[in-house]
Amino acid sequence: MKDLYLLIRPRLLGVRNRFIRSQGKRRKRALIMGGLGLAFCGGMFAVSCRVLTYFQSVEMMGDLLAKYLMSMIILTFFSLLIFSHIITALSNLYLSRDLELCHSLPVSVEELFVTRAVYTVMDSSWMLIIFGLPVFMAYGYVYRPGPGFYFTIIHMNLAMVIIAAGMGILVVMILVHAFPAQRTRDIVMLLTVFMVVALYVLFRLLRPERLVDPEAFFTVMQYLNALKAPQSPYLPTQWITETLWGSLTGTGERYLFEVALTWTTAAAMVVINIWVASAVYFQGFSKSQEAKKRRMGGGKVLDIFVSCIKKPFGIDLGAVIGKDIRTFFRDNTQWSQLMMLAALVVVYVYNFTVLPLDKSPIRIDFLQNILAFLNMGLAGFVIAAVSARFVFTAVSGEGEAYWVIRSSPLRLKRYLWGKYFSFLLPMLVLAEVLIIITNHFLDVSRFMMLLSSGTMFFMVFGIVALGIGFGAMYPNFAHQNIAQVASGFGGVLFMIVCSIFIGSVIVLEAGPVYVLFMSNVRGNPITVSQWIFIIMSFTAAFIINMVAIFMPMKMGLKVLSEYEG
Amino acid sequence: MIKLIDLTKTYKGLRAVDRINLEVKDGIIFGFLGPNGAGKTTTIKMMAGVLAPTEGRIIINGMDLASEPVAVKRCVGFIPDRPFVYEKLTGLEFLYFIAGLYSLDHAPSLREKISWLLELFELTHWQEELIGSYSHGMKQRLVMCAALLHQPRVLIVDEPMVGLDPKGARLVKDLFRDLASEGITIFMSTHSMEVAEEVCDEIAIIQAGKIIARGTGEGLRRQAGVDGSLEHIFLKLTEGKRIAHERPLSSN
Repeated sequence: MKDLYLLIRPRLLGVRNRFIRSQGKRRKRALIMGGLGLAFCGGMFAVSCRVLTYFQSVEMMGDLLAKYLMSMIILTFFSLLIFSHIITALSNLYLSRDLELCHSLPVSVEELFVTRAVYTVMDSSWMLIIFGLPVFMAYGYVYRPGPGFYFTIIHMNLAMVIIAAGMGILVVMILVHAFPAQRTRDIVMLLTVFMVVALYVLFRLLRPERLVDPEAFFTVMQYLNALKAPQSPYLPTQWITETLWGSLTGTGERYLFEVALTWTTAAAMVVINIWVASAVYFQGFSKSQEAKKRRMGGGKVLDIFVSCIKKPFGIDLGAVIGKDIRTFFRDNTQWSQLMMLAALVVVYVYNFTVLPLDKSPIRIDFLQNILAFLNMGLAGFVIAAVSARFVFTAVSGEGEAYWVIRSSPLRLKRYLWGKYFSFLLPMLVLAEVLIIITNHFLDVSRFMMLLSSGTMFFMVFGIVALGIGFGAMYPNFAHQNIAQVASGFGGVLFMIVCSIFIGSVIVLEAGPVYVLFMSNVRGNPITVSQWIFIIMSFTAAFIINMVAIFMPMKMGLKVLSEYEG
Repeated sequence: MIKLIDLTKTYKGLRAVDRINLEVKDGIIFGFLGPNGAGKTTTIKMMAGVLAPTEGRIIINGMDLASEPVAVKRCVGFIPDRPFVYEKLTGLEFLYFIAGLYSLDHAPSLREKISWLLELFELTHWQEELIGSYSHGMKQRLVMCAALLHQPRVLIVDEPMVGLDPKGARLVKDLFRDLASEGITIFMSTHSMEVAEEVCDEIAIIQAGKIIARGTGEGLRRQAGVDGSLEHIFLKLTEGKRIAHERPLSSN
């Protein structure tokens, strides 16, 4: 037990030291992130309260809907927890840099395993607190149960975390026993992406929006069947849902068997994990330390592709762009995210094909134009999200080999603008495809089509510059996984600034477009003052665009030139 | 020629490098010695253009690094202490990438030069493989190939022998001697007294960010008033003591 505490202590001391020694910029960043987290929790709580209050107002089926929602939430959290544990267990148990030192210490394999499992639980389950707590608290706020409900939330969620952790860690130990840890990481990453894409597309194609429109179903039974979440008496999520629901509605004592089932399963998972760990953990770790297999570069198609793309950039920049493309396509964790992107686009476009425009009480041409306008914002947001993942991370993507760029005769300004132009074309194509196809489904007027595709065209210049600029302002060259860079402080800030930029451009264009639209509808000529207003609004939008292009690039260049690691 | 004039680097109030003044002649191997945390790597990173000095100037081949960074970097080769490189490129692709950064043309002469370097550092059989599967020593040798690719006039090297096997270390020592005889200046930091004694024409010892001694092996002996190996001189000048006399480990 003493050894266990000693092994966990470095992590606790690390957290404490980071807290005590954080000052200035870091403390500000922590406060901003904390504030954003709190705002998110507040938002989740408010939305959940709104939804549950609405459910309560639905006669007969209100409670049923609330319970189904709870079971879906718990099932989703449980699945996410298992995935999250699989990913973090791999690094905590097999790939962390401090593991060599830990394994050389005079402690038992079981104790070391338990320590790393605790790390894994700590790293993986904070998400449940951020996302889950406000939702469960909303149930409490709307249904007003006794204090027992809050105690049940804590212990049942704890049991859920332990079971999910046990399952995730067990899967990792078995996988690493079969494949080396490095390979397992690639496999897990790929599987995760496939699963997320499949679930996302499947969920969207099920058209859940029909559930709020019971008229679309012929009978109540059909509707109830459509509501059903996967249920089985053998699923821990079922036991947890029943217990929480029972506690919420004051019938908790009926579910003691479920409580016992959940906790014995959690205890069994702990014991099984320790057994398995004592048998295979060290062998797996040892295997992960062995030299990696020789892997050939190869790929004639990639060579041809690279030589075509890099040509316009000149020798020095072309070398950087060529290197980026090769790295991207050889990294499973990178290219596989293109599938997520494809799924995002497919679902986005699909949403427009099922819009019930004909059911709206508003004039169709007016509605089409409003939607086309909103579409600009949404498509801009999609481009911003894609940029956060790919453009914002472009500078950090150099990783610890950044010294190669810094010590070379390539000017940083040229390097940053080279990255900018290499991302500009693909992002322009993506944005225009999104906006033109969706506008086509909306059947908007020619004017709206021109305006939105033109606006989007110019906004992409700003969004990509914001991505490269913020990426240079907040570089993270010491990352283990490039995907995590986008979710850091700089990435969040980029998304906020990008949203403000997109919002401002759209707001500035909304006024003049309304004037033009109404004059067209009413057949009135546009007055001089209206023309001045139109010109000023479009000029302001143009200026904002220019600022969004040059300002972040300039600031990014300054910060990167002074970067000291 | 390398000239460091009042070179200073301050990190959050701490002076890592404190007004260093040095002049290194062409065609010599200059050893930069010092205890851990003395400011060796910071100095070297500033010379390579990876870190900006807080004060002072760096003149290489008559050009100021601050005002003519591109021209200076074109004639400098840099080998860092830790060979972080792009793991998803093959060794050959990495060398072509470096050639591109230095705007070297894809001429047959470049191919020949790369082949020669790969052969010299015994990486020919690994050239088509991803760098991720290289050992630490192989990465170190690849970085050395990259630093020599554009035929630099000045080579700045941080701990060149770390991770190299005895054969590799021998190769590097001989190569440095050959390069120096061709007029190339080599500025290297090292912890190894044996390497410094064997290879360097001149040595400077840095402690707490300041140069505390400078000269040839003989000159340093005179300055320290010690008639022994370079290790003795180093310990005397940096006031290091023999640990065994201070802390008896067996008393536990």
